[in-house]
Amino acid sequence: MPVRFLRNASELADVSWETPLPVQVANAKPVPADTLLVATTSVDTTANRDLLGSTSTELPTLDACGQYRKLVWFYFRTSDAATTYRVLARATDHNGAPLGAGWQEIVPATPLPGAANSWGRIEIPATTDGYYDQYRIEVQRTAGSNYNLISKIVGVR
Amino acid sequence: MRPKVCLVLSNFIGFNRVWLQVLRNLGIDYTLCIATSGATSANIQTPQGVFSPSSPDLRGYFRQFDAVILCDNVGDLALTSFINYSVFWMSWNAPEDPAFLFFNPYFSAAITESAYNNNFPSDFPIVRPNPSDLAGTLYAADGGSPSSFNPLVVSSVGGRGACVLFLAENIRAHVMTICNTHTDNIPYYWRLDTAKHSTLASATYTHRVARNGRAGEILAVPAPPTNAEDTETYPTDCVVAYRYRNIFWLPHAMARTPHSVSFWDSPVNSFLFWLLYGLQLAGVRPRYRLPVQMETDHPLDSFASTAPFNFSYLQQMQMILAQFDYMRDFARRKNTAVINGVRVGGRHRTTSITFHWNLMYSTSVPAEARAVAQQVNQLLIAGHREGTLPCGVHDHTAGNYQGGYWLGDVRAGFRRHSGMRYGAPNNVPINRGRCCVAPHVLPAGVAGADAQTVQVGDTELVEWDFTGRASGTSDTFDLPLGNIHAARMIIESEIEEMLALGFPDGYCAGHKYTNTAANASGGECYWQALKEFGFRGVRSASACNTPHQTKRVVANRLWYGFHLVTDIEFDLQAAEAGYTRGLYYPGSPPQGDAVRRWQLDHGNDISSGWTSNPALAWRAYRRVLCQGIGNWLFTTAVVLGGFYIHAYTNSMIMSPSDPLARFDGWSKQNVIGEPHYCHSVELLENMDAVVQLLPEYLYWGTITDVMDHRERVMGG
Repeated sequence: MPVRFLRNASELADVSWETPLPVQVANAKPVPADTLLVATTSVDTTANRDLLGSTSTELPTLDACGQYRKLVWFYFRTSDAATTYRVLARATDHNGAPLGAGWQEIVPATPLPGAANSWGRIEIPATTDGYYDQYRIEVQRTAGSNYNLISKIVGVR
Repeated sequence: MRPKVCLVLSNFIGFNRVWLQVLRNLGIDYTLCIATSGATSANIQTPQGVFSPSSPDLRGYFRQFDAVILCDNVGDLALTSFINYSVFWMSWNAPEDPAFLFFNPYFSAAITESAYNNNFPSDFPIVRPNPSDLAGTLYAADGGSPSSFNPLVVSSVGGRGACVLFLAENIRAHVMTICNTHTDNIPYYWRLDTAKHSTLASATYTHRVARNGRAGEILAVPAPPTNAEDTETYPTDCVVAYRYRNIFWLPHAMARTPHSVSFWDSPVNSFLFWLLYGLQLAGVRPRYRLPVQMETDHPLDSFASTAPFNFSYLQQMQMILAQFDYMRDFARRKNTAVINGVRVGGRHRTTSITFHWNLMYSTSVPAEARAVAQQVNQLLIAGHREGTLPCGVHDHTAGNYQGGYWLGDVRAGFRRHSGMRYGAPNNVPINRGRCCVAPHVLPAGVAGADAQTVQVGDTELVEWDFTGRASGTSDTFDLPLGNIHAARMIIESEIEEMLALGFPDGYCAGHKYTNTAANASGGECYWQALKEFGFRGVRSASACNTPHQTKRVVANRLWYGFHLVTDIEFDLQAAEAGYTRGLYYPGSPPQGDAVRRWQLDHGNDISSGWTSNPALAWRAYRRVLCQGIGNWLFTTAVVLGGFYIHAYTNSMIMSPSDPLARFDGWSKQNVIGEPHYCHSVELLENMDAVVQLLPEYLYWGTITDVMDHRERVMGG
């Protein structure tokens, strides 16, 4: 049941990408980046824990990201306890259903850079474009004590 | 004039971003200032320069604000320095100076700095806490028992508080209240120096925040008991909130935590009342007031067995009827709307007599109980039409009987409705076409004869070849759940049942909203389908198809204008316990009563002596309401979400002969001789007291007001 509107006084058109609703845009600026996530993660030794604290391996950390060329992950870590992160990604169909089970591992378990009370910035993917629909970003402490990792992820179109 | 406040903090690591989220939601501008240490020698870093805390420059800088808020607090009264720099501001009392809001202030006698002690106002009327003499300088509160963890960082559980009497307003309200605490984890209230207070209370003082024109004013005290059973009383010199000239001495308002805050990363902060109250006292007029509203799930539902209460279906229906009759009347009087998620699915997909349809029509339900269930339904329809009890679909049969939308790859044996667009015997797609191509890149003549255009979000595709992906004419088949065709069929089936029940729609009338079953809103294809059927938003968990666990709501909880409203539940028991056994009940299963569920038995000070000490029922009552109201305020002021209960699961502990009676300890008992308690009545009436206390910050509104406000403050 598409939404329709009156175009050219007599023509009824479906609202679509090609025929958007006729609105007047004033003082608009292109916004190339969106804040997608701000989260605090208690980093422990649990395998498969994502930034939102979930250990459900099929659950994305971020969904509906297909419009983003790249994600930029900023973080502040409160400890230098040895930690690895892993980035998983996959595509969905237009309904949002993953094309299949499991994930494409785009960053294998890698040491998370930074000392105690330090900042970090990681681009996802590091080199190519993304445009994946779903991402799952996992962190796991491999030594030391639990600590808080505060993250912000920005999606760049 | 734009409302504007100044927040002073020592660092961002312990700075709770809820401060800012609340202010943004209220439309109050703010500026952050950083103190370089906790000592009187600290510098205050402001956007206009770095100032000494005692300097005229800083005083002049502060005068641009309506209020200055001290954000830092600590649970260790033995520190010698914490917010010592703020002592100078206690003497900035001219009419041009702003109000200063001290929440859970640190003014311990352990502070050794002479600059602090020499500048501490000699006429300040609250006794400074002394860690070496806690009993002589503070009052142990809320039973005086220690929490098993720092009570200042309490989240959605483990609350401490009191029924507080607000003197000027003459209103009693249950609010989470801790004035100070120490390493013993005991909440304390303050001791008043009555001689000093008497002097201040008789001294004239002119400042816009001195509403009685006096230099000193007791704002709030622990409310005296209403029943002789309740022996938890406080001396007459015990206070929980005080105004000293333009300085407000208020209880704890915000946990110190590094948690960032967004619409999905925010641990519940249940102390917010005092922030809102302080801002109002300080005369900070927010641009926006916040709408307060409540929702229920399953207005008609039941249990086959309700041991130890052993209620019949008839009794359960009667208690439900009484509650919704009350809620309808409350909504009429307060101009709010209590949203209700009707548990549909009984008409087509299950014979379980716990479902709305079956309670009305199944012959497995005794006729007299069915008759009352039908009265409840009629009440809901009337409430829906007049706007007091709007009802929407809430389907626990769509996804493998477990809950809401998209709870598995396939719903085996799905039975659909008849007629309409997606009902039997219409042969319609039940999965996406084998081929899906965007129309602007689709070559002419390629698409099959069965091609149709599907749009989900901003993606438009031409789908074709539904071989093996259509319903046929049957009414029962295995339904793949992760596609828009299934979503449309399921939602149309739910609305068809609502129409058959007598409702004019399935989306809470003009609110165009519902609370999804299990807070599972599915994913994009369900949100799109819901939009197509006229919905503006639904309540949803972040992991929005649990337990299938393949989807998340979008980051800002607003998908192409469709709202995914945060869920905050406050039943008296956990879901796995089924129904509540009491505020506390010695024989309860795990999490089967409110004290267990919300971790309110501090040092066993409720469970130990429950049957021998009648005051403990009152203690449990206070803590449950303090926690519930605190969590509800968090829902209202921070995440702009949906606070909800299941009226039927909380019913068992009500007295069937007087179901709406207000709590009265052991003086009003239920069928097993335990204290009667009506959750819906108590929550609404206590929140109403809070709304009356905060007329410039809160109002009884609707979910439409909530969604309007989300759009207002969320921006693009």
